[in-house]
Amino acid sequence: MKLSNFRFEQAAAIFRKDFLLGLRRRAAFAAMLMFSLTATANLSLSIGGAIFDENLLAALLWVVIFFAASAGISGTFETEAAAGTLATLKLYAEPQAILFGKMFFTLASLAALTVFLLPIFLILFDCTVAQIWLLLAVIFFGIIGLAAAGTLIAALTTSASVKGGLFPILLFPITLPIFLPAIQLTAAAISGADFETELLMTMAIFDAILITAASILFDYLD
Amino acid sequence: MKKIVFENVSLNFGRHEIFKNLSCELDAGKVFGIIGKNGAGKSTFLKLAAQIIKPAAGEVKILGLKNVAAVTPELKIYDDLTAAENLNFFVKLRGKAVNLAEMGARVDLDFQNNTRAGDFSTGMKQRLKFAILLSVDADIWLLDEPTANLDDSGREIFYREIRRGAVEKLILLATNDAADLEVCDEIIKLPI
Repeated sequence: MKLSNFRFEQAAAIFRKDFLLGLRRRAAFAAMLMFSLTATANLSLSIGGAIFDENLLAALLWVVIFFAASAGISGTFETEAAAGTLATLKLYAEPQAILFGKMFFTLASLAALTVFLLPIFLILFDCTVAQIWLLLAVIFFGIIGLAAAGTLIAALTTSASVKGGLFPILLFPITLPIFLPAIQLTAAAISGADFETELLMTMAIFDAILITAASILFDYLD
Repeated sequence: MKKIVFENVSLNFGRHEIFKNLSCELDAGKVFGIIGKNGAGKSTFLKLAAQIIKPAAGEVKILGLKNVAAVTPELKIYDDLTAAENLNFFVKLRGKAVNLAEMGARVDLDFQNNTRAGDFSTGMKQRLKFAILLSVDADIWLLDEPTANLDDSGREIFYREIRRGAVEKLILLATNDAADLEVCDEIIKLPI
């Protein structure tokens, strides 16, 4: 990683700017939150009160998080490129500061998404969580991986003409090593079953790999 | 010596040759006016000088100068931020402490106003871009048609700041406006 103190200041400024713009424009937040709400409500209504086992509930939760995140993150760089501000940002900020500023903002957006989604999901599916701290830890590591991979892919697909479809297609295989343990651990958190701590470790290691890879590859993007 | 050196620089866009074996030296402390017909490569010359784009052949060397600031039509400000928020953001990216009231007086723009930049006139946006240019830490200024949307008072401010900045910076001013050339120390006419 190539972060210096100065770049951290730049990254923090970019994070604050994106947060302010996110609150004022609301489009990306609204897309994520409304997708998660409608998807969860539709799934809940379609099962008609049937009881799902914890594995299916865990998979559904992560599917909703994945696609809601896709709806929100995909425009991370595109909005700036369309407004003509990305060139200005590249002129005045270091590439690594842009990447990490955007990544922190994406992470904050995903944290807000899960704070919004999780209670609705648990209520609509009449689900109780036996190990809440495990669930929170899994979500924490899961959204870090999503933020790292999502920010890099958003930058990669900025100039693509079919970015709407391309983004989830590229994001899915990269984040699969995070989703598989996340679903297993979420199921364990819901049921209260014993779980393998190695799976949490796997998620943390893969998060670190994704962040490092994003940091290295971002310098090569024009 | 602080300068930018072009050594046998060539550049094509497709089959269109923009520069062929261009060699020149641009010394700091001067304002260079870049003139030429539309499509002659004025904006491209600026981008090459600042190493924003690379030549197909030859080399552009920046000696003893660091950081570029620019006012060009391509570089936009954030429409959903106010003037003060825009300026503070760019200063945090690469700048020194800035006094908003002082800067407001310098470029004749009200930084206390909470109007978002998207609602500014084109001339006000240009003044905000100047304020950012003056506030960030840079040895090289790239100015592409900087007075195109300015009224007379805006032009006066711009010329005054150019003269002030030219003491220690290298300023490249691409323009089609003959009045802008009065602040230039040397004129480069494209194609060379």
